[in-house]
Amino acid sequence: MSALNTVGRATPRIDARERVTGGATYTADIVVPGMLYARVLRSPHPHARIRKIDVSKAQALPGVKAILTHENCEIIWASGDTRNKRYLFNNPVRFAGDAVAAVAAVNRHIAEEACRLIDVDYETLPFVLEPEEALKDGAPEIQPGGNLSPDNQGRHEPQRERRGDVEAGFKAADHIFEARYETPHINNAQLELRASMAMWEGDKLIVHASTQGIANCRTDIAKDLKMPPEKVEVICHYMGGGFGNKNQNHDFDLMAAELSRRAGAPVRVEFTRKEDFVSVHGRWPTVQYYKVGVKNDGTLTAIQLRGYSGMGPYRKGAGDISGIEVYQCPNVEKTSYMVYTNKAVSANFRAPAYPQGVFGIESLMDDIATSLKMDPLEFRLKNYTRKFRDQIAYTSNGLEECLRKGSEKFGWKQRWRPPNSDPGPIKRGVGMGMGMFGSGLGRSNAIIRVDSKGIYHVHVGVTDCGTAAKTTMALIAAEALEVPLEKIDLIWGDTDTCPYSVGESGSRTTVQTGTAVVEAAKDIKKQIAEKGMPKGDEVWRADAAPNPQLPRDRARYSFTAHFAEVEVDTETGHIRVTKFVAAHDSGRIVNPLTAESQVKGGATTGIGMALHEQLLYDKRSGLPLTAGYYHARIMTHMDAPEVEVVWAEIEDPYGPYGAKTLGEPTIIPAVAAVANAFFNATGRRITQLPFTRDKVLEVLA
Amino acid sequence: MGKISRRRFVEATSAGIAVATVPLKGQQKQGEAAAPDAPAGAGVPRTQIQFTLNGAQRTIQVEDRWTLAELLRDHLGLTGTKIGCDRGECGACTVLIGGKSVYSCSQLAVWIDGKHVTTVEGLAQNGKLDPLQQAFIEHDGPQCGFCTSGQLMSAKALLLHNPHPTKGEVRAGMTGNICRCSNYNHYVEAVLAAAHAPAGSASGGGNA
Repeated sequence: MSALNTVGRATPRIDARERVTGGATYTADIVVPGMLYARVLRSPHPHARIRKIDVSKAQALPGVKAILTHENCEIIWASGDTRNKRYLFNNPVRFAGDAVAAVAAVNRHIAEEACRLIDVDYETLPFVLEPEEALKDGAPEIQPGGNLSPDNQGRHEPQRERRGDVEAGFKAADHIFEARYETPHINNAQLELRASMAMWEGDKLIVHASTQGIANCRTDIAKDLKMPPEKVEVICHYMGGGFGNKNQNHDFDLMAAELSRRAGAPVRVEFTRKEDFVSVHGRWPTVQYYKVGVKNDGTLTAIQLRGYSGMGPYRKGAGDISGIEVYQCPNVEKTSYMVYTNKAVSANFRAPAYPQGVFGIESLMDDIATSLKMDPLEFRLKNYTRKFRDQIAYTSNGLEECLRKGSEKFGWKQRWRPPNSDPGPIKRGVGMGMGMFGSGLGRSNAIIRVDSKGIYHVHVGVTDCGTAAKTTMALIAAEALEVPLEKIDLIWGDTDTCPYSVGESGSRTTVQTGTAVVEAAKDIKKQIAEKGMPKGDEVWRADAAPNPQLPRDRARYSFTAHFAEVEVDTETGHIRVTKFVAAHDSGRIVNPLTAESQVKGGATTGIGMALHEQLLYDKRSGLPLTAGYYHARIMTHMDAPEVEVVWAEIEDPYGPYGAKTLGEPTIIPAVAAVANAFFNATGRRITQLPFTRDKVLEVLA
Repeated sequence: MGKISRRRFVEATSAGIAVATVPLKGQQKQGEAAAPDAPAGAGVPRTQIQFTLNGAQRTIQVEDRWTLAELLRDHLGLTGTKIGCDRGECGACTVLIGGKSVYSCSQLAVWIDGKHVTTVEGLAQNGKLDPLQQAFIEHDGPQCGFCTSGQLMSAKALLLHNPHPTKGEVRAGMTGNICRCSNYNHYVEAVLAAAHAPAGSASGGGNA
């Protein structure tokens, strides 16, 4: 790979000083004169009809300025449910945490008090929490038409994907393996407590949102409020993480706007942490049934998956289960049931469909390798994907390099022993997993303006949710313009000053908005070549809105392989990760410093998913029990192992300077690597996440 | 507590606190002090407290129900201290009281009467970043940055009491500060770099 001037050099963030001095202004830090504070009253029942709602006592409380309920507000939140009408306030309420009312008052204490004064007469309804239960005859109906969420065409059928002939594949197999895996609902748990602040200037709405995509957020708000998009300005300059649950607009953005309109004052809606855990969304829980056919030499002949995803009562997310495509196999059949339940809503969380799916398929593949007496590394080197779904060539594929370099760095050959080789009582074992994630091309925009001082003002509609997107864009601009980084002035985070950007979801910003920056830079360089540099008040401007597409016969993916070593205390059930190597092919790495942060963070979050996290529900009451950092057992400093990062040196022929996607792949194989290391240490398989001590002691008993 | 005089809070409810907000397009931040307008706060007990904030003496009437985090953020305009959970779980609101790290969401404002409080805004001296802040930049500690102020204040408290900690001591000392971006490795590296760097080498003007 040829070295570049700016891209590829480890560079501290351009906004690092703001981030370490308290100078970075997040949504809840913004205050304007006369601003009101709003709080939301939520359903204490998993499923109930509201017979009567009485707000008179709340209305009478001095300082209360506006109250919204389903009786006086019929705004539909379109991105909150892609199948049914989801109002800001629904009747019936369909999960514990569904919004019932919102109150704006002169301070948060009064808003909270007013919420307590609202009398709601509920008629509780039967509820169902688990997707397989919800599909049974006689299960409580959560949405009209049944609990199997319809597909895009409105058909109440599972989503099917078929390739080859699985029955023929099973016949050709020497061995058939079957297994069931289960993964829970877990929360994105970004640290920034949720807030949205809305204010009106005449007929223009300004929303300070905490969003991963100001452009999408604006379009969504405008659509839901039936306004022209140019009358809505969305601002988000600093954003305290989202990991997928801040992609679109949110119901509380709309609540802030509507409360503000009615009260005639700016309104900030604030959440508690518990609300954040139960009432926005988390990763969809799954049940996965696999059947795999394999020859004696380890060749895969068929993979069949029947999967159930619990979507909560509203279809906000896709709900797919991904991972089997990381293996080459000619005969594949996948049937996915997306099911309504009365748990918290499920939708995107870092690599939405992958970590749970890869946990399933990689656990089973590990068992298969063991049965065939193959080293799990050799089994994967034999069977990793060569073509996407065995059909379409990849633009580049560094998965083998990830497997080889990662295993070498980890010392796989020295560390791996057959399962349960360690006599204990503290047993050590190693495991691995593979992953992949789409890195498609597509539309995004950038504007570059150059002034007579030689400063290049780069306008990009990113918010930088922690990925260092601003710095990445500045590095790409400096490289493309052939100027030092100091000459770049980045303008971001405001729909009035920035063009459309794709939104920081799907790990698309580097590739898509980065491409737009390169195109705008080419244009401005051409203008400078023709006209010379601007003089005095002159400014040259270039607008780019590229929409590159891949050829039909190419697939573009990032790849990864993770390696973990664990110690299992067979007396207490405690699992400790003692070594971790994460190998990644994300094409050319634009900024190795911040890219390493992404990998270490993503892998650590995956370890937490394997060992700790679960939004646990009480089966009798249907109420969530572990809504918060403490009970969700989010990874801490003491839990986090050192993660070593290995880069495959791949330069993809597409994307800016050959860069591919990075943010989301980082979590994908970590869960499976830890799960397989537990198996290698103990010779026992846990098939349900997370690997808590009770489950460990149960399988060891 | 126990310092709430009935007469004082009755007086205070009518007095209120001056409101001074600075409207700036796009990046509006709170000014010196703000209080809810009447009748908000009517009947709410108030207490006058005196304390040292980032080296400066402050005297202020606070509502007895305010947390320290609320006082700092909503009424003194110091929004560098973040609230991530408001219930003593995440550590984003960590500040120093008398050199010890505490969760400001779990302290009532009235309890800091007579105490010394340091927030993230008090770390840099005369525009010169604290060595910890500089190391956080160089080792890419902050990703989303929301937990960063709390991580810095816990690290500061640790180094005040243990200037040359081991890696294990850093992890133990900062384990009350959750980072959901999970950039723990880089935070620990940064603290070790700041603690073990020769005097002055990890400090300076910052990058940005």
